[in-house]
Amino acid sequence: MSTSSISLPAHVLRAMIRAYQLVIRPIWGAHCRFSPSCSHYARDAIALHGAGRGSVLAGWRILRCNPWNAGGHDPVPGTACGCGMQNSKSLAGR
Amino acid sequence: MDIKRFMVATALSAVVLVGFEYFLPQQNHKTVEQQAPAPAPVTAAADGAASPAAEPAAKPDAPDPRVTIDAGRVGGSLDLRGARLDDLVLKNYHETVKDGSPLVRVLEPRGEEQPNLVEVGWTNVSGGQVRVPDANTIWTADHEKLTEAQPVTLSWDNGQGQVFQIAIAIDQNYMFSVTQKVVNHGGEGVSLYPFSRVERGYTPVETGGYLVHEGPISVIDHRLDESSYKSLRKGAVPPGNIAWSKSGQGGWAGITDKYWLAAVIPQQDSDVAANYAFLSQGGDKGIYDVGFTARAPLVVAAGGEASTESHVFAGAKEVPLLEKYEASLHIPDFWKAVDFGWFAFLTRPIFTVLDWLNTMLGNFGLALMAFTLLVKALFFPLATKQFHSMGKMRQLQPKIKALRERYKDDQMALNQQMIGLYKQEGVNPASGCLPMLLQIPVFWCLYKDLYVTIEMRHAPFFGWIHDLSAFDPTNIFTLFGLIPWDPAVISPMLQLGLWPMAFGLTMFIQQKLNPAPSVDPAQQKMFQFMPIIFTFFMARQPAGLVIYYCWNNLLTMLQQTVIQRRMNTKAAATSQPKLPAGKK
Repeated sequence: MSTSSISLPAHVLRAMIRAYQLVIRPIWGAHCRFSPSCSHYARDAIALHGAGRGSVLAGWRILRCNPWNAGGHDPVPGTACGCGMQNSKSLAGR
Repeated sequence: MDIKRFMVATALSAVVLVGFEYFLPQQNHKTVEQQAPAPAPVTAAADGAASPAAEPAAKPDAPDPRVTIDAGRVGGSLDLRGARLDDLVLKNYHETVKDGSPLVRVLEPRGEEQPNLVEVGWTNVSGGQVRVPDANTIWTADHEKLTEAQPVTLSWDNGQGQVFQIAIAIDQNYMFSVTQKVVNHGGEGVSLYPFSRVERGYTPVETGGYLVHEGPISVIDHRLDESSYKSLRKGAVPPGNIAWSKSGQGGWAGITDKYWLAAVIPQQDSDVAANYAFLSQGGDKGIYDVGFTARAPLVVAAGGEASTESHVFAGAKEVPLLEKYEASLHIPDFWKAVDFGWFAFLTRPIFTVLDWLNTMLGNFGLALMAFTLLVKALFFPLATKQFHSMGKMRQLQPKIKALRERYKDDQMALNQQMIGLYKQEGVNPASGCLPMLLQIPVFWCLYKDLYVTIEMRHAPFFGWIHDLSAFDPTNIFTLFGLIPWDPAVISPMLQLGLWPMAFGLTMFIQQKLNPAPSVDPAQQKMFQFMPIIFTFFMARQPAGLVIYYCWNNLLTMLQQTVIQRRMNTKAAATSQPKLPAGKK
């Protein structure tokens, strides 16, 4: 995904999420019920929809990521289906 | 690849641990390091407008006359030279948990090691020529002792027609009421600005790190200002030495420690200017000065009198007491003297619940445990749901094993196959991000409450825990005291008490009960080290937090066992092996 046209707040948020992925998630373990995982979803959503709307989308995704939701494949709205490659790529990136 | 990622993850975890060590406050509860004695008596001529025009005081040969203070929870005295409230100890608080530990001193005279005092007075309007009392004025008192039942009035005649009076009363806790009165017998009216201020003549060692604010604090126009000693030092430039001022109506201002506060509180309907000043004595040494000056002068007509009222708080920041004062004296946001932090909207209610449980159960450790039960009850549906799906996962284990065997060389294909299997069976191995995230605020609030509130300070638990807000003092590296050495000499990491070990054990068992859903072997390996890393991390955290976590893990295991047993009996009763699992 191209990151050239995104705003500074979006960059900062994405960097923070990346830091979480590298530092905190190895400690807590991965608990996400979705693919791509909530953090990947958040990064993609912020890149695609900007810091504001992207954060809202990510927040809504985290709220849905609970035992009552079946989970599964749930890409960011607006992305091409990418069912094959993107899915497995996100998982591989865990 | 996996090995590399494992190494990176390990290194990063180490960074987190070291980072915590660096950013979190020191957990030692030693008394504050003693400062070098202040060189000669000093005057806090902070500024002409903020404090009386005080000429350098020579150390008096005879001790100053004093009024004794003896009230419900404080004792000390008041210096009649300069009418300073500069000697106060708290009767209910000791410096350490050891027997015979000295009482906590919140106010100390100038010239001592840690001067901290409160002063009220008047300054002239610009061009005014009234002789106002200063730091060397000897006042006369109408009583020798200030008690709850016996207020004391100090008075001084300036010899030019004005009599100054300061009436001081104290309640059963930490609040002084101060009435400043000027009686004008002269032929002309006089105009003066009343002021009150807190002065601290040394730079304390800040024990709170980034977790709790210590230093100048104020609420003016409902705005909380928590500044640092450093910013005061940086901002204050001669000749005024005022770092900054703030104008507003009412409020309160002072200098706070983690647990103690000295604050002045003007009449809440008066227009005041709060001044923050620092008088440097070289380097970090100097006098910090936070106080209020009235913005409109007090005008005393010839032959008349006029007075202003204010309050002085000097004592422990007990949350219910601050709330009581906030309500009864209309002091805006007085509870904010306790640094509940950004998440006060959560931290404070949780503290209220804990405090209430403590009054019911008589022990903060038990209160923590009862609170954990409440939280567990709240999240019960979530956990039940999660354990049900875990139980189903266990029934799928043979199939998963078969898949692992078949695709052991192709991670990506394995992932795809597993996802397919989960979908087909209608289960999801992960508990979800929301349940994980929900635990954080609770944990954080407990941490913050344990760390900042005085109620948790020196709160005992059973056995060897005498202070829930300090780490477990036992240490396996000394074989619990059998070997007389201090492992901290080698590394502060060599600290591992009994409770943290119990915590590590519960975490280990819990992990065995719930194998991580991850399919990445590097991550699996990482998880195995987590109980060890966490144990060492928790060993340096407040014992109350470790006990909470231990108990929480135990309850979780209990819950899981009960739910699984129920599921197993149900499965055995219905025994329909060929039917596909339900949608849930």
